[in-house]
Amino acid sequence: MSAENPDEPGIAAIGAYTPRLRIDAAEFEAAWGRFDAAGVEEKAVPEADEDALTMGIAAAQRALDAAERDGDEIAHLAFATTTPPMAEEDLTPRLVSVLGAPEGADTRTLTGSTRAGAQALVGALDAGPWNGSAGDGIGLVVVADCPHGEPDSEIEHAAGAGAAAFVLAADAPGSVVDRGSHVDSYPGTRFRGAGSEATTGLGATQYDRESFTTALGGAAAALDLDPATADAAAVQSPDGKLPYRAAGALGVDTETIAAGETVSYLGDTGAASAFLGTASAFDDDAECVLLAAYGSGAGANAFVIDGSVPVDAALSGTTELSYAEYLRRRGEITTGEPEGGGAYVSVPSWQRTTPQRHRLIAGRCPDCGALNFPPGGACRDCHVRPGGYEQVELSGRGTVEATTTIAQGGAPPEFVEQQSRSGPFVSAIVALDGPDGGSVSVPSQVLADGETVEIGTRVEATIRRIYTQEGVTRYGFKLRPVERRR
Amino acid sequence: MREAYVIGAGQTPFGAMPGESYRSLFADAVDAAFDSVPDGIDAGEVDEAVVGTLGVGGRQIGLSAPAVTEHAGLHGVPSTRVENACAASGYAVRQAVQAVRSGMADVALAGGVEVMTDLSGDAAKYWLGVSGETEWERLTGTTFAGVYAQMASAYFDRYDATPEHLSQVAVKNHANGAKNENAHLGFECSTEDARDAPIIADPLNLYHCCPTSDGAAAVVVASEDAVDEYTDEPIRVAGVGAASERVGLFQRDTYTGIDASMEAAAEAYDRAGIEPDDLDFAEVHDCFAIAELLAYEDLGFCGRGEAHELIESGATELGGELPVNASGGLKSKGHPIGATGAGQIAEAYKQLRGEAGDRQVEDAELGLTHNVGGSGGAAVVHVLEREVGR
Repeated sequence: MSAENPDEPGIAAIGAYTPRLRIDAAEFEAAWGRFDAAGVEEKAVPEADEDALTMGIAAAQRALDAAERDGDEIAHLAFATTTPPMAEEDLTPRLVSVLGAPEGADTRTLTGSTRAGAQALVGALDAGPWNGSAGDGIGLVVVADCPHGEPDSEIEHAAGAGAAAFVLAADAPGSVVDRGSHVDSYPGTRFRGAGSEATTGLGATQYDRESFTTALGGAAAALDLDPATADAAAVQSPDGKLPYRAAGALGVDTETIAAGETVSYLGDTGAASAFLGTASAFDDDAECVLLAAYGSGAGANAFVIDGSVPVDAALSGTTELSYAEYLRRRGEITTGEPEGGGAYVSVPSWQRTTPQRHRLIAGRCPDCGALNFPPGGACRDCHVRPGGYEQVELSGRGTVEATTTIAQGGAPPEFVEQQSRSGPFVSAIVALDGPDGGSVSVPSQVLADGETVEIGTRVEATIRRIYTQEGVTRYGFKLRPVERRR
Repeated sequence: MREAYVIGAGQTPFGAMPGESYRSLFADAVDAAFDSVPDGIDAGEVDEAVVGTLGVGGRQIGLSAPAVTEHAGLHGVPSTRVENACAASGYAVRQAVQAVRSGMADVALAGGVEVMTDLSGDAAKYWLGVSGETEWERLTGTTFAGVYAQMASAYFDRYDATPEHLSQVAVKNHANGAKNENAHLGFECSTEDARDAPIIADPLNLYHCCPTSDGAAAVVVASEDAVDEYTDEPIRVAGVGAASERVGLFQRDTYTGIDASMEAAAEAYDRAGIEPDDLDFAEVHDCFAIAELLAYEDLGFCGRGEAHELIESGATELGGELPVNASGGLKSKGHPIGATGAGQIAEAYKQLRGEAGDRQVEDAELGLTHNVGGSGGAAVVHVLEREVGR
């Protein structure tokens, strides 16, 4: 089936983000005496303060950068994941807030299977283009995932993490020239019951393969174009072997699949799998990519994307974990926040600071011109309480002024779990650059991969989980050294 | 303005005291203060009571002042809790001085109490962090060790000081505290101990941090009209200064000093009509070793960036030119948050009366106490003087 919408938006750019933590398959073999994820040599592991939402934000920001578009142009925002940090609650308002998208943006969340990203892309292609009075709007499809299984399961051995985001716009360098989908009832290949944290599957190997190839083959058969013309095929990869089993059904050769694979170094990235493969293929200068996503149940989508799509991708890792460190990061051997009492920040109090936590909105004193963060009350410089502060959005870049590394035992209770999982962390005061010179100091953690940070280090903002209390995860900015940017 | 005099001051031992309650500790401190009044005093003679306590959880928080003063036998006395974190009872003493100077009271009792060791380590941290700037500073994962460590990082970056100087503060204060029967950690420590201890918040290690303690202290303040009924050798409150500053370190103009301490000291010196050089000793707020170094500069004992030279010179040791923290300081004597400020006055009272035993500062006539809340959101400085030949 060809695209029936002649004005269908194209792909303006792709952003991709993966956590910098990695674990080698050999670590699993040493721990378990075996490794159950065929074809996975290494995989990405989220930090304790990362999840599908933070990875999705990082990918979205890279996609917007690569497209040279701004968050306030977003008309349509779709977030797809099988691992939403909350089973119930809309996460897209946080995305809208962080990205600075208009509050009137059309948002949707897709979840429930690893085909969620493909479903989000279909919806966005059908919804666009977005022509408003303010000019041409854009669509943003954010696909992020971090699957999780029981420690001894194939799912967990394969489980990686990552996110990709597609910016959709009219007159884009990339076009979805063909697409097709297929569903067929094959329950049980991969599922997670309500209330369960761990994804599992029946593990019926032949049945799993049949479901996989039937759905993907059906989606490919629905295309008008010959998939063999693609330079690369980014195929759903629950492990490093299964996608190749579908080569025949998809009508591509194994080299084409290899040109669009990330599973060997990122692991199973769930809903983001075929999207990360697509990002990687265009990053390697492919000019025609088959994106083939599969979800248990079962269903599949195939897209043929043509063109030279700009990509901003962070697909390389920097830090190798031992298996014990991996278990700590996964929260398998930590106990969570200790019991206590005392001061805490209520959710309404937190919510009032959202513009600062999400977008670094500072205030300029109308009397003396000093930047205040957070703005409010008497000016930190002239100590006079102005009628109001002029809103100023900070770039998020700054310089470390004072710093410490909080060692074991030195963290307040809200941060005990973070420290149990990730070890010592850097807490600093950073002078954030003002838009027209000047600066304003803010306290922040600095993401330094377990190393100390020197005064004078240049840093830039990124969104992470700050902590979780009363069941509500608070997301906000942290800073990382510019020199560690990938 | 009427003069105010300290006519008695005392404290319980500081430390971990599972057998004591916040009430019994406070009552013991009142007894110690009353016992130290040369000509004696009865509970019924107290017109006003001010109690400094943070109110670490696990016990009475609301109405905690009447809860302890009624228990101590100060029946019916108007009693108010003052809360300024670690400076709570320093401010309580200031309130008592105000009550006396205003004429509303002839005799006022200021005290402080805290029980901190009956909580789990994790629960205690909930309470230790409550005075940090809660919405931003604390949410970067800091307790006070972290905030003072940030100050140390900025100080080391700006001046030639090193962690070695922090260790010298610890060694000095432990040497003094070993001579104090009321000290929580009343033992000497070696340079190696102080240097090689586990890191809490880089560059601060365990020996650069004070302990959490239980304890209480009380001070009796009398007006110039009433003082002669209680003693022939009163200790005059020569000067008091206090100041506030932004609670979060990131909101301040400097990280290598505490503005509130500077302003409080300037006011206290001015009111006392003295210079820092005139002092015979000082009890300063060394919750972390870097805090003592910053205090040297904030209080004018040396110039900016010279604190590490001052500790190195030995001038602040017992027998030096200006002994600092002869009691052992918060580091060795202990830091039961609400009791610390009044406890500093109790030490100064002993020193000025020549009753400090092995740690006595020779010919002590003029002493200073310096009490800081949190990382410097509040500070209060008292200058006390032994009146010779009243």
